[in-house]
Amino acid sequence: MKNSIKVQRAIHDMTQADLASKIGVSRQSINAIEKNKYVPSTVLALKIAKLFNTTVEDIFFLEENE
Amino acid sequence: MQTNYLLPNKYKILGWVLFTIGLAFGIFLLLNEYESDLLNAKVLAIYYEGIFDSQDGFFKIINNNIVDELATICIIIGGLIVGFTKEKIEDEFIYKLRKDSLVWAIIVNYLILIFTIVFIYNMTFFHVLVLNMFTPLIFFIIRFNFLKFKSQNHEE
Repeated sequence: MKNSIKVQRAIHDMTQADLASKIGVSRQSINAIEKNKYVPSTVLALKIAKLFNTTVEDIFFLEENE
Repeated sequence: MQTNYLLPNKYKILGWVLFTIGLAFGIFLLLNEYESDLLNAKVLAIYYEGIFDSQDGFFKIINNNIVDELATICIIIGGLIVGFTKEKIEDEFIYKLRKDSLVWAIIVNYLILIFTIVFIYNMTFFHVLVLNMFTPLIFFIIRFNFLKFKSQNHEE
């Protein structure tokens, strides 16, 4: 699974730390998600989407072989 | 992340203190063949088999050096507290790191144990058994802190 959190952060002018504190996780978690090392739970995905005023599908998407 | 078995973060220091004291005494005892003259006390044994006396039986009050018991309990309680207290920011990612570390520790511990069962015998194996009381916790703590450290080092 890939995601566009980094792009969304740039659009909203947020650092990893800003995003992390807004949804109540550690900066390491955001970093791990952006690097595709950690797949967040549905709850966290929904929180991220809500914060960026968009849908989960716009932020997280499957890769071709998945 | 909802977890009901994690202690608040403030206990972490207490855990490290107990764990370190326990390990220091443990290593001291290991180097002295588990013998020390400090702290002899009368203790209750649920079942006791005397080696040199014929006091076998249930619920005996016996004399015992309790330094090794104290060290063992310090390591175990300290280790449990260190391993199972919340991080400053406890979230689902750290929860996953903790869980993965536990699985890793159990597998590595038993692989090493299998290796020692096959290649180590007699009194030397007794030392393995003693160390094996603590290695699952120790491997878990090392692995968990290593993964945490690794995730902190990947900057933006």
